Amino acid sequence: MSETSPQDFKHLALSLAGAQDSAPWLDSLRFTGTEQWLEAQWPGRRTELWKYTPLASLQRGQFASWGSAQAYTLAEHALLSLDAIRLVFVNGQFDAQASAGDVAGVVRFSKADAAQQALIEARLGKIVDTKRHLFASLSNAWTQDGVLVHVPKNTKLELPIYIVHVSTPEATPATANHRVLVVLEESAQAEIIEHFISDEQAQNGFVNSLTEIQVGANAHLSHYRMNLEEEHIIHIGGVHINLASNAQYLGFTLSEGSQLKRIDYQICHKGKGAHAGLNGVYLPRNEHLLDYHTNVEHEAPHCTTSEVFRGIIADSARAVFNGRIHIHPDAQKTLAELSNKNLLTSDKAEVDTKPELEIYADDVKCAHGATVSQLDQTSMFYLRSRGLCEKQARTMLSFGFINELLQDLPQQAVREHLHRHLTQLFDKDHFAS
Amino acid sequence: MTEQVESLIRKDYAAGFHSKIESDTLAPGLDEDVVRFISAKKEEPQWMLDWRLKAFRAWQEMEEPTWAHVHYPEIDFKALSYYSAPKSMADKPQSLDEVDPELLATYEKLGIPLHEQATLAGVAVDAVFDSVSVVTTYRAKLEEAGVIFCPISEAIKRFPELVKKYLGSVVPQKDNFYAALNSAVFSDGSFVYIPKGVRCPMELSTYFRINEMNTGQFERTLIVAEEGSYVSYLEGCTAPMRDENQLHAAVVELVALDDAQIKYSTVQNWYPGDKEGKGGIYNFVTKRGICHRNARISWTQVETGSAVTWKYPSCILKGDNSVGEFYSVALTNNFQQADTGTKMIHLGKNTRSTIIAKGISAGRSNSAYRGLVRINAGASGARNFTQCDSLLIGDRCGAHTFPYIESKNPSAVIEHEATTSKVSDDQMFLCQQRGLDAEKAVSMIVNGFCREVFKELPMEFAVEAGKLLEVSLEGSVG
Repeated sequence: MSETSPQDFKHLALSLAGAQDSAPWLDSLRFTGTEQWLEAQWPGRRTELWKYTPLASLQRGQFASWGSAQAYTLAEHALLSLDAIRLVFVNGQFDAQASAGDVAGVVRFSKADAAQQALIEARLGKIVDTKRHLFASLSNAWTQDGVLVHVPKNTKLELPIYIVHVSTPEATPATANHRVLVVLEESAQAEIIEHFISDEQAQNGFVNSLTEIQVGANAHLSHYRMNLEEEHIIHIGGVHINLASNAQYLGFTLSEGSQLKRIDYQICHKGKGAHAGLNGVYLPRNEHLLDYHTNVEHEAPHCTTSEVFRGIIADSARAVFNGRIHIHPDAQKTLAELSNKNLLTSDKAEVDTKPELEIYADDVKCAHGATVSQLDQTSMFYLRSRGLCEKQARTMLSFGFINELLQDLPQQAVREHLHRHLTQLFDKDHFAS
Repeated sequence: MTEQVESLIRKDYAAGFHSKIESDTLAPGLDEDVVRFISAKKEEPQWMLDWRLKAFRAWQEMEEPTWAHVHYPEIDFKALSYYSAPKSMADKPQSLDEVDPELLATYEKLGIPLHEQATLAGVAVDAVFDSVSVVTTYRAKLEEAGVIFCPISEAIKRFPELVKKYLGSVVPQKDNFYAALNSAVFSDGSFVYIPKGVRCPMELSTYFRINEMNTGQFERTLIVAEEGSYVSYLEGCTAPMRDENQLHAAVVELVALDDAQIKYSTVQNWYPGDKEGKGGIYNFVTKRGICHRNARISWTQVETGSAVTWKYPSCILKGDNSVGEFYSVALTNNFQQADTGTKMIHLGKNTRSTIIAKGISAGRSNSAYRGLVRINAGASGARNFTQCDSLLIGDRCGAHTFPYIESKNPSAVIEHEATTSKVSDDQMFLCQQRGLDAEKAVSMIVNGFCREVFKELPMEFAVEAGKLLEVSLEGSVG
């Protein structure tokens, strides 16, 4: 397959935008997105944000059409079993049959009433930082449909919002654009679970996903985002969060690898006393390339951030992690911590990690740590001495390495689902060889 | 604790005087003729000129790096003079007695006595003034041990085979923008060769001084330690206070052959510019060492000077079981900017590296640690430990950490830790209620913060470094 030039890819992407039939009130966002996408410099090895992540496989992909609502069969237990408001999308198209439940404030862009349209217009594309996230411009240019979760002041959503994105292969490689906008007003509370999944066939699609979140003053959001698609998919995703004063955001993300997967998280502390917690797990194997970039902007004083990412890299896979914490000049009394630990389980696996601190205020406490190693020999010896075979011991220790982050998840359905899913995955030998 | 502290902060830059020494300075400008001129002036053989020209041509194709976390106005490389030598050096003095007394007085003022009898016991000094090496002490004694310690210009003539073999072997001409420039126009520097199995009988030291206006200083240092040898090398630098910025782009290459050990210590005190950020040296330096089997290279640096620092002393751990170490204290005050750190490239098996970097920012300065730890696929059993801590003094300064970690071997163990905080109120309170004034307290806390690095310095330097820190920090407590 020949490689398309960056220019060709850019234009191909825009021709897809031209093929969309979108509502006029989204035009200005689409237009700005198009302009930024055209102007943006295509990332190469010298682009710091893409230093370790080549986009060659994306350029090769020839994604010339939009995904369509195909019939699909998911494996048993592929979805979470929980009582929730469920919205299911197949290759970017809404699947009404599989979706269930309804609550005021949760609506697709295409069904939004006038007030909701105004809200979307005011917020959509305004939270995301397109400078640090190139593909957000493309997502803006591609905006057609999406999910709005709007929780009014002093309201708590009783049921979690469960958004499922299913990918299936198509005759020619196709594209899906996923967009979520979450607006929590003052003292609102909600729980949102985003679940990316595919059927079991080899995938050939490209998914561009973007979630924008505004957490109002004193509001509280729990947010889960799982990328569990089959390995040939290309997924570029972004989650951008703005926190008002005393807002709380608790995020968890877990990704299995694929030929190219890049996820950006950006958290901005805009108001005093906000707290962000973000935990993540990445598990690339085979020939996967999995890249997490996180960026926390402390713009206001008295805010706290705690971020923990763990990865196990198997086979010939490559993981990239970049965690930046930026303390602005007036963000005094900030507490920020970042930890990134990696296990390499094969001679050909590679990890490139870069935790960054950029600090312009003095009365702060910031720390980051990163480690790369293999399983601890003393622990191995201990388990072997108790009669476990080498493989069992390895599986147990590898699983334990990430289980620290899983076992504390407040949402039982997610916890149980991941536990079952990962046990199967670890049994396949990748992470314990 | 503000005003009284403010007043305490600034002790003036003591090395900022300018000596009136007649000098022979090349008109500003840079083209192949300048390269030829320098080469001719040094009476270099043809191969050296070719080597320089190759570097110069490569440099013309290269772009100035912009990735560092520093900001400065664009440098006009054509407006600099690339060669300046004290006039009295035209006929090279044969002994110390023939050296211009004004020159000796300059070094005397800096506390670097060049008279052998008066020297710090057991330290041999090579003094580089603007573009030339003016004097090297204790040469006879060193030669007895078989150690070669001389200006590199002399080495090119006397030991061409050695220089040819190793020059550019660690930092190739095209390595980076400033290294290429240095390769084309370097004027002098030190050359050290330690024969097989020899433990160098004394500390070697080079003292750099920029004196003339509008000149750039480009020195080149090459140290070769043969199998099983040991050398400890110190480097110090100062410049006069001037309103314009001056460029210093040096290259240092270390070669540690099997079982050899090189200890390289730097106390960098180039003029940092005044309180408003005017003037100061741009210090763009490439330092790199290569370790063969069982060899060890340790870099220790105390960086308090320069308006802008761009410096990453690195180790290529090529041989099995080799060890690389990097200990650094970087202090910035006023408007200084520093982007410094190290690279540890692990190629051989069971290679080990340790990085301890301490950054202290005060005033409106910015200091960044930028490091790379790379474990290649063949480096099984490699081990790295990195710790970089930053201390902030004042709310207008910045401290940044950019560590790159790349691992391709599962048996390697890499640990990285970084913290940033200010001098805590508790610590200050404790010291002050025991009767120390604010200034003393900060100085004590900062010294404690840097202790891990200072203990790696040779004794005389450790004392100097501690004092230097105290001076540079004066008045920044608030």
